[in-house]
Parts: sequence; structure tokens; C-alpha cells
Amino acid sequence: MPTISRFVAVSAAAASLLLAAACGGGAPAPAQIDLGSGPAAAGTVKKDALKDVTLTFVSYGGVYQKGQQDAAADPFAKESGARVLQDGPTDYAKLKAQVDSSNVTWDVVDSDAIWAQAQCGKLLQPLDYSIIDKSKVPAGLATECSVPAMQYGMVLVYNAKKFGANPPQGWADFFDTAKFPGKRAIPGVPGDAAPGPWEAALIADGVAPDKLFPLDVERANKKLTSVRSNLVFWKTGAESQQLLESGEVDMAMVWSGRAYAAVKNGAPFQVQWNQWMPIMDAISVPKGAKNPKAAMAMINYYLGAQQQAKLTELTSYSPVNTDAKPALDDLGTSFLTTRPEVASKATPIDSKWWAANQEAMIEKWSAWLGA
Amino acid sequence: MVLDQLSGDVSGAARPAADAPSPARTASDAGGRRPALLILPALIALAAFFLYPLALVAWNAFTDPTPGLGNFVWFFSEPANLATLGRTFTTALWVTAVSLLLSYPYAYAMTVAGPRVRGLLMMLVLLPFWTSLMVRTFAWVILLQDTGVINQLLGAVGLGPFSLIRTQTGVIIGMVQLLMPFMVLPLYAVMSGIDGRLLPAARSLGARPATAFVTVYMPLSLPGVSAGCLTVFISALGFYITPALLGSPTDALISQQIFTQVNGLLKWGRGGAMGVVLLGLTLVMIALLAVSLRRAGRRVSR
Repeated sequence: MPTISRFVAVSAAAASLLLAAACGGGAPAPAQIDLGSGPAAAGTVKKDALKDVTLTFVSYGGVYQKGQQDAAADPFAKESGARVLQDGPTDYAKLKAQVDSSNVTWDVVDSDAIWAQAQCGKLLQPLDYSIIDKSKVPAGLATECSVPAMQYGMVLVYNAKKFGANPPQGWADFFDTAKFPGKRAIPGVPGDAAPGPWEAALIADGVAPDKLFPLDVERANKKLTSVRSNLVFWKTGAESQQLLESGEVDMAMVWSGRAYAAVKNGAPFQVQWNQWMPIMDAISVPKGAKNPKAAMAMINYYLGAQQQAKLTELTSYSPVNTDAKPALDDLGTSFLTTRPEVASKATPIDSKWWAANQEAMIEKWSAWLGA
Repeated sequence: MVLDQLSGDVSGAARPAADAPSPARTASDAGGRRPALLILPALIALAAFFLYPLALVAWNAFTDPTPGLGNFVWFFSEPANLATLGRTFTTALWVTAVSLLLSYPYAYAMTVAGPRVRGLLMMLVLLPFWTSLMVRTFAWVILLQDTGVINQLLGAVGLGPFSLIRTQTGVIIGMVQLLMPFMVLPLYAVMSGIDGRLLPAARSLGARPATAFVTVYMPLSLPGVSAGCLTVFISALGFYITPALLGSPTDALISQQIFTQVNGLLKWGRGGAMGVVLLGLTLVMIALLAVSLRRAGRRVSR
């Protein structure tokens, strides 16, 4: 049957072409780039230093990534001459697939900061701090493989209509279902475990906030189990916001950015900043990225005071440059976690411990959730 | 393949009662003498985009991080995994049973209704079918939540509030609505091929209406029942979005646990092993069904 065999040959040729295209062979070698002499200064890049360079910035989409694009990525592209593409959302499995197959198309990646610390040297490469100026980054937040992308917090919010006269004072009250009856929402993000529920449970169980680490997970789970019938688990930030806006819960442990959005939309909630927990996103460069120097030049630009101020104005997240002076309305200002009166109330989180133990913690958290 | 056998049986069992020419026969005639050529593009696409990735997943299950059965040993030694697997199968069974209960009378009504009503009934099945799964699932969130439409209506007549969202019940309600077209359509296809004169004939021989229906009509509709149940059950086993949005992480199904392993923990071997277990059990179910179906088919033709 000659027709069939010709057809097979054509199809096979087409399929192999397709495969070759999918494997994306023939990527250009890293361009020779000159970022100029002298020490790096955050928020700057040598004019037209990155002509012919294409970078892909990856983040979580929505208002956040749009803010990053407008505040940093697009101005950087304009000044450096680089072409900056946007992609997302950040997907750890996709990044792993890229690194494992040595076909990395993501250059600058926004991710959870603890995850970035845990992946240093595995999926992410060390940063060159002669290209990146970290002198204005708040102390201790820049690590070997990542710098912070912004700061926010895991906060306690309560329905001011219900508890306004006698508001909960901290996590002990969050777990006190006799004094504060009603449903409370806490994170239950599939495949993730992060600072929040366990720390709060331990504080409520009497552990001093500065003696939390290493976390006693058994004890924390016992405390959580004791209020389980009052708990609602949110799986995405959008869901947590929806729970506040629809009035499904009376108290919640949520990301401050989502609390801000819900309050702005008219949800009658207030933040109890006492014992809030700082969290942040990080930006980093994947191992095997095609042009790491250019990627780090972009990170250096991202950290500038102006860029950070604008990012905060656009997203409500707090800046990671100590000189940044965002212009915000009263509500926006009240959600800045970098204000001294808020910062002083934070529960310290041992992100090194979390990075070292996150994998085991994800399994323990998933097991408790599914029990 | 088992599936071929199955679909062959479906048309084979319907044929004795149908007076129209078998649709299977017509299709193969239209294909001419070179059916191989016609299915080749589909086969190539299937091989490149389904079989090859599937083989990779299976390969991962046995080799990542070390070669051997480690991932499977892990899967079967964790009680939480077995609980999830059990929950996945019971949820899928519930969804199948509820879908069948709702769809059987619906499909029957479609066969006895006049053309206009039948068209309307068909539209009612197809309209949601054409709407995006995400849209429908989010609509269920709004309907089912504690402060949602259903609870408000119930509240107005002094009932509730009931916990519907973030429960297994909520997941089953959402999944039944999403999967019902896959039950109604094969049921209707088979039922519309059953000769309507058989029921009066049975009654003229002395059978009471209920007896005639149960002993004559229902056995003839069995191929549609099996085809619908099989499609719904297998689709339900792998559902991800709906249980993720309507359920609680406490009642996670196996697809969500696979996500945890693959995206959260980056343990692709374990994720692969869970996928292989699910696929294996699904194939066993199909085989069992094919066997029972062939028996039932033989009974009907006798």
C-alpha cells in the first residue's frame, strides 16, 4: 500500500519536526554584555547595555505582576535596551522541568522566599552581588540565591461588626472559640506549607513567640485539631478574600495584601497587627538561565528606591528598599508592614529553619489536613 | 483493546431491538477500504501527546529518585494515601449513582416526548455542556457557600444553614452537574433505538406496566447504562478543578494529592506512581465492566 507508507513517512517527518521545535535546540550563546564599571547602584542600569538580549520575567500574574512590570520590568527594558517578556504563573514543576532538561526559558523568577532559600544551588543559582546592590535591602533579607521581591504578612483579621467592641488581641484569642465564637479561615493551600497556622497554634498554646523554633509540630497540630470544627481552609488568595467579602467567616488568618483588597472592597474587617508574621516573595535566577548577568542586572534595577515605591503604590505590598517613599492613601499606609509601629509587633519567623525543613513540613501539613 | 470490545458490545446489544441500520456499519462503509489511513493522524497525535508522556510518567514512577519499587512501597504504606484513594473511588461511585438516578428518567422522557419538548430537553443537557467547566464550578461556589443563594432561600423558609461547600456533598453535587451530559447522551442514544412497541406487546401478553418496564425495557437499555456509568465514573476519578474549588483540603481526592507531590514537593516519581496506581485500577474496572457487559449482552440476545 504505497499511499499509506508515503503518508507514514510524511507524518513521521512532521512529527520529528514538531519534536525538534519543542526541544528548542539552537539557542543563541549568552551575549557578551558590558554592564559598565564601578560598583552597582540599585535601580540603575547602563544605558543600552543589553541590546539584543531577551529576558523572561515570571511571577504570579494579576495586579501584582502588572505592578512589577510597570514599576520595574518595562522601565528596565527601556533603559537597558533589553526585550523583557512576561510569563506566569510561577510553577515549580515547570521550572524543574526546564532545569532538568537544560532548556531554561525563564530568567528572573518570583517565588516564595522560603522555597527560594531551599532551592539555592538546586534549581536556583547564586547571585553575583557585584552586579546586584543589596545595600538598601532590609538587613538579612538578601540570601545567597535570592533577594526579596516585596514584603507582606500573615495577619489576623476579624469582623469589626461582630468583635469591634472587644477585638481579639492575638493568636490566643484566635483559638479561643468560647470567647470569640464563629468560623475562622486559615490557609490550606494544596502542596504547600508555610509559616502561619503552626506558629499561631503554638503561641495560642503558650509558647513564647521568640521560642517557636524548631517548631513542635505535634503540639501545634493538637491545638489546631481542638478547634478544627470551627476552621475553614482557603486554598488560594482569591478564595481567602472571597471568604471575607461574603462574610463566610468571622476571623481569618490571611495574607495582608488580600486583607487590604477585601477591606478596600468594603468587607467589615480589621487587622490585629499584634503577633503578625512577616512573609515575602523572592526573586532569583534559575540554574542554567541563558543570560544570568543580564538577569541579575534586571534584579539590581528592580531593587531601586523609585521602583520599589512605585511597586508599593501599584500593589499595596511593602517595599524592599529602605529609601523607598511610596505615596499612599491612609488605608494603603495602614497596611504597610514596614512601618515601625507595625514592624515592632511581628513574630520572628526562622526562614532558615523553614527552608531546611519545608519538604518534611509539607508532608506533615498535608497529612494533618487530610486526616 | 477492551474499549473496542465495549463499544462493539454496546451497538451489538442494541441491534436486535433497533429497526434502523446499525450506525457502526454505516460508519465503516463511509471509511472505504483504508480505515487505517483515516485513523493514522489520530494515532500519531495520540502517540506523541498521550502515550509518550504517559510512558514518561510511568518511567518516572519506577526510576525517580532511584530505580525500583520505592514509590509504590511508599504509596501503599502511607495510610493517608489509601484513605485518599478510597475517598476518590467512593466519590466517583456516588457521582455515578446520582447521575444515573437523575439521568435515566430524563433520557426516557426524551424518548417519549414530542419533537419540540425533546429539542428543549436536549438543549437543557447541551447548554451547560458548552459552558466552561471553570465558569460552572465558580457558579456552584456562589450557589453553595454558607451565605450563598441556596442557603439564603432555605433560610427564608426557616431551614438551614447547611454546610454545602467545602464538603464531600458539595463536591458530589458539582461533579454530578458537570458529568450528567455524559450519562444522559449514551442513555438517550440507546433508549431511542429500543422499539417502542415492545412495551405494549409485553402488556398485551399480560404483564403489568411496571413489570413490562423492568423485565423488557430496562435490560434493553443496559448498554446505555454501562456506557454512561463507565464514562462518568472514569471521568470522576480524575477530576481536579471541581473538588479543588468545592471541596476542603481535608477531603482531597487523589488528583489533588498528585498535584501536591508534583508541584509542591517536586517528587515526580511519587506523583507518577500515584498516577500509575490510578490508571491500573481504572483499567481493572473497565475490564470488569466489559466482562459483565458481555454477559448481560448475551442474556439480552437470548
